[in-house]
Amino acid sequence: MLVPTLLFFLINSYIPMVGIYFAFTRFDFNGGLFGSQFIGLENFSFLWKSGKLVELTLNTIGYNLAFIFFKNILAILFAVLLSEIHGKWFKKITQSVLFLPYFVSFVLLSAISYNMFNYETGFVNTMLKSFDIAPVNFYNTPWIWIFLLIAFYLWKQIGYSMVIYLASITGISDEYYEAARIDGATILQRIRYITIPMLMPAFFLLLLFSIGSIMKGQFDLFYQLIGNNGLLFSTTDIIDTYVFRSLKETFDIGMATAAGLYQSLFGFILILTVNYLIKKSNEDYALF
Amino acid sequence: MSSKAVKWGALGASLALFSGLMAGCGGSEPKAGATTAPTANGGLDTSEKVELQLYMLGEAPKDLPVIEGKINEMALKDLNATVKFNYIPWTDNTTKYKLLLTSGQNIDLIYTANWFGYQQYAKKGAFQPLDELVPKYAPKLNSFVPKDMWETARIDGKIYTVPSTYKEYTTGGFIYREDLRQKYNLPKPDSIETFGAYLDGIKKNEKDLFPLASGFNMNNYKELKVNPAGSFPYGVTAPYTKPQEMTSFWGSPEHLAGLKVAKEWADKGFWSKNVLNEKELANNLVINGKSAALMSHNPSMFNDMNTKTQAGHPDWKLAYSPFPFIKGYATPVNPIGNGFAIPKSSKHADRAIAFYEKLVTDKRYNQLTEYGIEGTNYKVENGYYQMIGDAKTNGFPREAMNGWSWRNPEYMLFDKGYDGVKEIFSQLDKISKPDIYSGFAEDYTSYQAEKAALEQVEKQYLKPLEMGLVDDVEGGLKIFMEKAKAAGLEKIQAEYKKQWLQYLDEKKIK
Amino acid sequence: MNTRKSEKSVIFTFSAYTLVTIASLICLIPFLLILSGSLTSNESIIRDGYRLFPKEFSSAAYKAIFAAPSPIVRAYGVTTFVTIVGTAIGLFLMTMAGYVLQRKDFRYRNRCMFFIYFTTLFSGGLVPWYIMMTSYLNLTDTYTALIFPGLMSPFLIILMRSFIRTTIPDEIVESAKIDGANDFRIYYQVVVPLAMPGIATVGLFLALGYWNGWFHSSLFINDPHKYELQYYLYNIINTMSFLADLGASTGVTVAVDIPMESTKLAMALIVTGPILLLYPFVQRFFVKGLTVGAVKG
Repeated sequence: MLVPTLLFFLINSYIPMVGIYFAFTRFDFNGGLFGSQFIGLENFSFLWKSGKLVELTLNTIGYNLAFIFFKNILAILFAVLLSEIHGKWFKKITQSVLFLPYFVSFVLLSAISYNMFNYETGFVNTMLKSFDIAPVNFYNTPWIWIFLLIAFYLWKQIGYSMVIYLASITGISDEYYEAARIDGATILQRIRYITIPMLMPAFFLLLLFSIGSIMKGQFDLFYQLIGNNGLLFSTTDIIDTYVFRSLKETFDIGMATAAGLYQSLFGFILILTVNYLIKKSNEDYALF
Repeated sequence: MSSKAVKWGALGASLALFSGLMAGCGGSEPKAGATTAPTANGGLDTSEKVELQLYMLGEAPKDLPVIEGKINEMALKDLNATVKFNYIPWTDNTTKYKLLLTSGQNIDLIYTANWFGYQQYAKKGAFQPLDELVPKYAPKLNSFVPKDMWETARIDGKIYTVPSTYKEYTTGGFIYREDLRQKYNLPKPDSIETFGAYLDGIKKNEKDLFPLASGFNMNNYKELKVNPAGSFPYGVTAPYTKPQEMTSFWGSPEHLAGLKVAKEWADKGFWSKNVLNEKELANNLVINGKSAALMSHNPSMFNDMNTKTQAGHPDWKLAYSPFPFIKGYATPVNPIGNGFAIPKSSKHADRAIAFYEKLVTDKRYNQLTEYGIEGTNYKVENGYYQMIGDAKTNGFPREAMNGWSWRNPEYMLFDKGYDGVKEIFSQLDKISKPDIYSGFAEDYTSYQAEKAALEQVEKQYLKPLEMGLVDDVEGGLKIFMEKAKAAGLEKIQAEYKKQWLQYLDEKKIK
Repeated sequence: MNTRKSEKSVIFTFSAYTLVTIASLICLIPFLLILSGSLTSNESIIRDGYRLFPKEFSSAAYKAIFAAPSPIVRAYGVTTFVTIVGTAIGLFLMTMAGYVLQRKDFRYRNRCMFFIYFTTLFSGGLVPWYIMMTSYLNLTDTYTALIFPGLMSPFLIILMRSFIRTTIPDEIVESAKIDGANDFRIYYQVVVPLAMPGIATVGLFLALGYWNGWFHSSLFINDPHKYELQYYLYNIINTMSFLADLGASTGVTVAVDIPMESTKLAMALIVTGPILLLYPFVQRFFVKGLTVGAVKG
């Protein structure tokens, strides 16, 4: 029953992994993949040549941690709230509406964000001006974007995670709630002692998945919203956007693969550690 | 369930197999060319029927299947070949292009251009040399393209692309609202200073406008102020008159002066404070009346903008102030600005080049692929091209296949609206001088990492300065120079200069 | 005690409704912006940006799209086909995999999990995968190229495993075994019906993945007749920024019409619309309490 799955990953993922070798070569068309010159770690050097590797790594991890933390808390919160709401139509409609932002592409999101926050005609500043408050130049204020980026991310992603938690709540056997009701537990007690613990497997699953890719991801969010505005890079540049911008013109296979490998190794070590720790405390929650 | 041993064994085996195959695919030598047995008929062996794969940029026009069918009818008779026209859409075009070449897919003809990395791909061996192929299998094409044009395509001694022979200019020029200039009696923009005065006048009279679409352009400023031989990267510059004297523009007093102009203009509100995040095309900002001027665009684009503006607002008028008139000379587009190459992977290089010869030199092939079917897609009136219907209903507007590379000046048809461009071109022809910059193929292998890092520093520290968004200009420039040096600017500039001088030497440019 | 309890639950219910309503509004506003933008005249968008209500009303965008609907209709067909087929096959394979992987008596469970999870960490990059798909599997211009790569993802498999594990007590499987059912029977008659909320969720995500997919079209499809809907939209939205990058010094003039701002917004709505209906449909499977019946059946 598992064979097709394993075969799928073999073909789709494992065999192409030979391409990791690109990271150590200087590609040229005469040599092809294995005929090109071996240059050791030279491709990695562009990552620290700018002296930004530490800043980029910290930014990337920082954002991802914030994403993981707030996303899960809010997704659990709304899943629990929705599961306790009984108005059938209200529930159905809000559930769908909360999922809506997932469908907005980042390109459109960036247009919306520009419309809201630009200095001269933006929504927010027009409002501020009408209250006689000095307008804020959002696109020249790096720290604001830490919050805006996190907010946009949450706005877009909460619906998705919420569905996972909702499905988990649905899977909880009614018997538990029945028993709690007979014992006279309040709503809050029910949530705290039954619902939340039952959501833990799903939570750890999402957590472990996010941690493995803590060095990657959300390229579109950052690239579309910040774009080439260098004024904001100090707080908003992550590894993916840096690599993309650096290689946009040359699109060098070797360097791109090298950057990817750096991200992968980092995530790999992290996930092995975290998985080990989780396994020690509760084997059921571990991934492998 | 598969056991562990079997699984890892299978993985290993398939990895090894795949590696072997991949190694083979990149390094294989092309079969065509010298190895094909020549026959009596012009040397081309057409005994086997082949399908050629041709790749170019853009979107396929609606009527492509019809045109392709007609072309194939002729090609089958002439060359015993059919052609499949494939398109690489604009979005992510570099990625796809690189992927196609890297993966060694079967492609017989592919679009090239100097602005699209032709030199780099050629240097890295992505294409087959044409030096023997063209005289042998496409003699007509060989003599049709002038010798000096073939020479511009030479990279490390070999020719890898067929240059385009249509001569055009993509030189810059101020584009501005002439009606507003007259209304407020503003000076004619013919220098940075008068342009600044014009913008100032616009800002004072039209409060809601951002006079200059998309902000400052340092390259244009540089072009008018220091007159470089080309738009050099990495902040170096060399005068057109003395190309040997390459110096660093970044950090120079001229650079600082330019940044100060930018700051002054930004402070006056010539463009939005959020110009770095502006999403709209600069052209559209002018056409739709959000801005009054554009720092620079080429003559064809000016013509296009003017037509569109007139269509939307008959009372508006755009005017054009070409930089060549200010500088006193114009350089036409390099012939390798458009071209076609035969990728390494092609198995039918001989047939491919023979077919390309037809596209360029055979009037039937050429006009069919440039303008569509006469009577259905277009008609010719008084020597002018005229589209039948409009862009929405016509399945093949003018040059809809993006066949810029195989334009043949002898067979070209022009729209009446294009007269304005031709007029500018003919004026530029009078002050035309050769382009000494575009033929230069930089080899950045030795400083690739520094180049990537510098790219980043430029975006972060220089771009905001160029848009006048940094309060302390001198301090900002100092920080940028420090960061750029840390990223390896000096190494890049030295290496680039070395290659540039070597190139001037080879081409005997003084 | 009783009164306090109900008071508390009233407060709770009230704040639940309030919070959910606020959140829904936040999620809705950008959509209204897009909707109003798609109904605004192009010039007004460029000059004034979008507003909650159009400043200069115009339905030109929709007219332009519906004047030549055939590419969109075709793309709809492709995407619908790919989504249905891909989701069906993917769900079938992943429920099986999830079931096997959660069985505690399967010895290589952790190794297989690692084998699957590892692919989320490391990849060989685009080029080798592209060569695999085009040169070895020969998938250029086939629907398989659109379906195959998205069939499974480690995340969804592991999600499936987790759903099956939490909703199906081991005892049920054990008792079915004692009754003489083999693995396939247990999978089909016990696991699938019980894990319905989980399967529906994974199915929803899978379907969304296919519906939103454009990347595979961009890599493997040359024939515009086989473009997916999202790729069609992606091209419309992005063409402009790529053309802007081309700059002035390239000898390139483009004959195609650059899509207008309002057209992009209208297209975005048209493309998103139908999949929105999928979610309420999936909600029907979020029903609990089948456990008892399953053991007997």
